[in-house]
Amino acid sequence: MIVLQILINGLLLGAFYALIGIGFSLVWGVTNIINLAHGAIALLGAYLTFFMFQQWHVDPFLTIPVSFTVMFIVGYMLQRYLMNLVVKAQIFILLILTFGLEIFLVNFMTTFFSADFRSVTPDYAGHSLILGDIVIPYIRMAVFFICVAAAALMALFLDKTWQGKAIRATSLDIEAAMMTGISPAKIYALTFAIGSGVAGVAGTLLTLTQAFSPNIAGGLTLRAFIVSILGGLGRVEGALLGGLVLGVLETFSSYIVGESYKNAIAFGLMVLVLIVKPSGLMGRKYYAEVKH
Amino acid sequence: MKKLGIVLLACFFFAFQGLSRADEIMFGAALSLTGKLAKEGNLVKNGYELWKDTVNKKGGMKIGGKSFKVDIKYYDDESDPNRGAKLVEKLVTEDKIKLILGPYGSESVFATSAITEKYGVLMVQGGAAADKLYTRGFKNLFGIYTVATEYMDDTLEMLKNKSPKPSTVAIVYSNDLFSAQVAQGAKASAEKYGYKVVFYQDYPKGTQDLSTMIVQIKAKNPDIILGCGHFQDTIIIVKQAKDYKVNPKALAFSVGPTLPDFVNSLKGDAENVLGSAQWTMTLKYRDPVFGSNHEFVKMYRARYKEDPNYHSAGGAAAAVIFQKAIEKAGTKDDLNKIRGALSHFNEETLYGKIKFDSTGKVIGKGMPVIQIQQGVQKTVYPEDVAEAKVVYPKPQWK
Repeated sequence: MIVLQILINGLLLGAFYALIGIGFSLVWGVTNIINLAHGAIALLGAYLTFFMFQQWHVDPFLTIPVSFTVMFIVGYMLQRYLMNLVVKAQIFILLILTFGLEIFLVNFMTTFFSADFRSVTPDYAGHSLILGDIVIPYIRMAVFFICVAAAALMALFLDKTWQGKAIRATSLDIEAAMMTGISPAKIYALTFAIGSGVAGVAGTLLTLTQAFSPNIAGGLTLRAFIVSILGGLGRVEGALLGGLVLGVLETFSSYIVGESYKNAIAFGLMVLVLIVKPSGLMGRKYYAEVKH
Repeated sequence: MKKLGIVLLACFFFAFQGLSRADEIMFGAALSLTGKLAKEGNLVKNGYELWKDTVNKKGGMKIGGKSFKVDIKYYDDESDPNRGAKLVEKLVTEDKIKLILGPYGSESVFATSAITEKYGVLMVQGGAAADKLYTRGFKNLFGIYTVATEYMDDTLEMLKNKSPKPSTVAIVYSNDLFSAQVAQGAKASAEKYGYKVVFYQDYPKGTQDLSTMIVQIKAKNPDIILGCGHFQDTIIIVKQAKDYKVNPKALAFSVGPTLPDFVNSLKGDAENVLGSAQWTMTLKYRDPVFGSNHEFVKMYRARYKEDPNYHSAGGAAAAVIFQKAIEKAGTKDDLNKIRGALSHFNEETLYGKIKFDSTGKVIGKGMPVIQIQQGVQKTVYPEDVAEAKVVYPKPQWK
């Protein structure tokens, strides 16, 4: 029975990891930017939720659209007026730029929001669905469904809408996309905006299940990185699968080997995937072909 | 010739400096006034300063019927222990100060106390809790922070005679050095008091999920859960314990509940959680300099417009103890006598009833236990100086 409980715990945790990873993976796959500021952007969403809850007692779940919209706009601006300036430069320069952005955002948050750990605990926190020996916390269940729904919405957006198709076209062949009238600068900005918006949502959900401070930004980016590698870049389904695999792997390695080894095992698996199937579990010759 | 002149002049200057203040006792301190430990360093300094002014206002220290004003020479170690060590050397060799008040932080105390030991001068410190400070066979270091391995001892002692009597303990800890020492000590204390330790495991620092551990603990159904970690994981343990309906009779942490953010972050879920503290504002201790702990808090508030915490109280208490030992020794120059007075020190101060063992480590002070009651920290142990009774067993999660 405990095995089933741990499997459920892993899936619930994994969905959150997936949500952190989706935006990161999309941005990496489409624009070839490894956004090291991803975790910091997610934390901005977390602080939005925290302050709205603290000041006006807004339910954390109701702040999801706010986090998404605000971070969408922030992401759009960042890409349009900052990243696009150097997007044609070597990948190394972009890496340094996003690293600098991360340092800036973390210090910005430390200065204005303090380095204190925060968490949001609404009245209904800690209530759980109890089925015999199995316990499923309602908040984690809600987080799970929101993550899956967000992934599904994004997959639909990429498949069905003109903008979504334009994003995929740009990532496949930028020259051909330009010939059909797509402006890569705008598409890159849109992609980065969506990635940041989803990160903001992940930040909002983070406030409910754990404590956060500006300093955990790096840890979040790292999770997003593992999820993207595991699942395959640029694909929403890939990130979802990557997240769930990571979640279940962590909880089971805690159970079987010991809590302290879970990070080592997660990284071990990442290395293994890179050796055996470098394009990720669901990666195809599609997104994230290494661009010149 | 010119050089000799300068040297002579310098000698005169230092001799003059040493002699001119015959009616004054100089203490020295190299504190972190800037850098990453600036906040704590300045809090300790606040404690020293409040002590100094309080003593001087009362006419100074009394040694053999004579009164001496006290003064403290400060240097800023910029939060660098190595620099701290050099500055303490400067205090001892150039400023000729033999009474050193400790800095804040285990690393700083570790480095600077090696210097005071080398020169055979005394250090009393209220700013570090590492066990390793007292395993070097030093004779000149006295510390008033309860050490890491004794952090959870009082909590377990307090709980052992409660009814229904708890018999099993689960201990979880973050895998950093300090938390591991707290956990080792907690395990030893639990065995000493006759508890059975049914779960003992570490987890990675900064983890985002402990659901597996919580589920495993639930299967053991322990009477007491002890968390030895940091604020972030303490929050996760409380949240997930509630999620998974783990209902121990007591839930206690080494770090977390004493911080104001604990209640802000957990709201009602923080209720009845226990925490360990070096010192609290409400402990009803008497104090030879300030009158009582209560008076100290009042004076601190009046002067600094904020509540004191254990950093500033530790600084003030270390200075009080140093002063009392010197007065008892009846000399300000004979370090052997002062060392002897410190070794046999046994007095109540605002920090508790202070005694030192042969290594200079405080014994018997313990860690007062606090409990969150109606959203406020209440000191519940030791019972004779507490302000409230402990709520036990902890009510089940709703």
